[in-house]
Amino acid sequence: MTPISGRAVRRLVSTCILIFLSAAVLLPWVGPGVISPRSVLHRDNSDAYIFWQLRVTRTLLALFAGGALSLGGTLFQALLRDALATPYTLGVSTGASLGAVITICLGVATIGGIPAVWVGALAGSLAVLVLVMTAAAPQRRITAFGLLLTGVAINSMCSSVILLLHSMAGVSRSFSISRWLIGSIDATSYRSLCIFLITVCIASLLVIVQAKDWNLLSVDEHWAATRGVRVQPLMLIGYILGSVLTAATIALTGPIAFVELIVPHMLRARFSSDHRVLMPCSFLLGGTLVAVCDAIGRVIVAPNEIPAGVTLALIGGPYMVWLVRERVS
Amino acid sequence: MSNLLEVKNVSLRHAHKPVLDDVSFIANAGEFIALLGCNGAGKTTLMDIVAGLRKPDSGEVLLDGRELDEWPRNALSQRVAHMPQAVRPDLGYSAEQVVLMGRYPHRESWFDSPEDHALAHAAMERTQSWEFRNRRVHTLSGGERQRVLLAACLVQHADLFLFDEPSIYLDIDQQLRCFALLRDEAASGKACIAVTHDINLALSYCSRLLVLSGQRLVFDLSVDEARGSQEWLQVFSRQLELGTTPHGRPWVWYQ
Repeated sequence: MTPISGRAVRRLVSTCILIFLSAAVLLPWVGPGVISPRSVLHRDNSDAYIFWQLRVTRTLLALFAGGALSLGGTLFQALLRDALATPYTLGVSTGASLGAVITICLGVATIGGIPAVWVGALAGSLAVLVLVMTAAAPQRRITAFGLLLTGVAINSMCSSVILLLHSMAGVSRSFSISRWLIGSIDATSYRSLCIFLITVCIASLLVIVQAKDWNLLSVDEHWAATRGVRVQPLMLIGYILGSVLTAATIALTGPIAFVELIVPHMLRARFSSDHRVLMPCSFLLGGTLVAVCDAIGRVIVAPNEIPAGVTLALIGGPYMVWLVRERVS
Repeated sequence: MSNLLEVKNVSLRHAHKPVLDDVSFIANAGEFIALLGCNGAGKTTLMDIVAGLRKPDSGEVLLDGRELDEWPRNALSQRVAHMPQAVRPDLGYSAEQVVLMGRYPHRESWFDSPEDHALAHAAMERTQSWEFRNRRVHTLSGGERQRVLLAACLVQHADLFLFDEPSIYLDIDQQLRCFALLRDEAASGKACIAVTHDINLALSYCSRLLVLSGQRLVFDLSVDEARGSQEWLQVFSRQLELGTTPHGRPWVWYQ
């Protein structure tokens, strides 16, 4: 296959933007119960409430959560030079899960007006971030291999503590833990949504403007260093930004898996490995994918719902198998 | 005026074993230097140190009289280009994308300019790799990949070029082309240092030979000096002898 020309790059990015925007406009209309466009414009109307307070916030959350996770995956894959790397590989998201599970076990509902689970998730991923950084960098030298090994070790430690807490929790708490660990998109208040969107947008922009550096780093650390990159600070910044994207998302949605594998891989295989194309497109398509999965989950077994994490994993599982087969052959 | 490159008393130990011991040499514009030595003699380590990728335990490396550490990374990349022995074979980038990365140190902007594309095109024509510009690196053969890496290095338009076994994997015709190309670069006012195991290529194209043995730099000879002595050949093998081709060129053969 041939990589694409400059004009094709522009066409690809604008197509992705168009897909993302159409998802934002169309998906709030999807759900059990038809909402007429006219009723949405009236203020005191239950349909208007469902549309503006539930479906619109939920769609926006899904779009930006999927985008952040997918971009985070692309970033970690460049950092670790491994196409199978994800924020999960490095323990950041398991740390977030552990933090959330601890708050569920403690039975705390809110801390300072913010849902306690969010605070727990953020604190958990921050703790893992600090732990991996200090453990992986003796003599203050960060290498991809060191990060990977330390991340995997901390990941499995956090997972086993989660299992332990899960087995010791009572029935109702055990249910909320499992529910949280699946990962789902729920309606949120506009206030928390705003904070989330601003965080994700700033972190994503900071990642995407350094796309050329990610290109170099994804080849080799020496390759990057001899082409003007200060490798150590770049790896540190990348790891922190990736963790911020992941932690902010997981705090609101729980660990939604596979989007960060499917989308970058599809883009790399079909279009280009150049991070200047790959990163914006992964964000846009990753967001759309999660929002579409969430919309499917809303209607397919209505009035019940399938969490977005489940729908995605059902699609992602077979994709992973196919990916491994491709790699082997 | 200071020398382009000055390596002064460089030593490096790894796991309590010396890798390089008190190595010193000078390189200037117009020189094409072959860095020779047996396996494990420290050639790649020395190249990495000169490229600023590793720090020596003692000694210093000066570029234009200024220590490597004091150069900002980007400014250094505009002056020194390094061609590694290999890159990951599973790279998903196209050959042209890899070559264009050599222009990154020269450009702040986010996109590659038409000028960058023109320079990449010229460099790839020189190494005869333009024909597979659109193929992904992981689909290239070893020799084709090597020609892409060579172009990626040339396009950096540095003053000092460091090549770690540039002719490895190349067929004989391409080996000759590669060394002729490096000789042309040196003739145009650059300094080239190439690690190689091919003594005949070194004698035919280079202007100077550096021989590493037992972690030390044991010979620093101009090619003319090397023609007049057999002693340095003993570093490689006792079976080697220096002769002359019917055209009067030096030729090393083995019994």
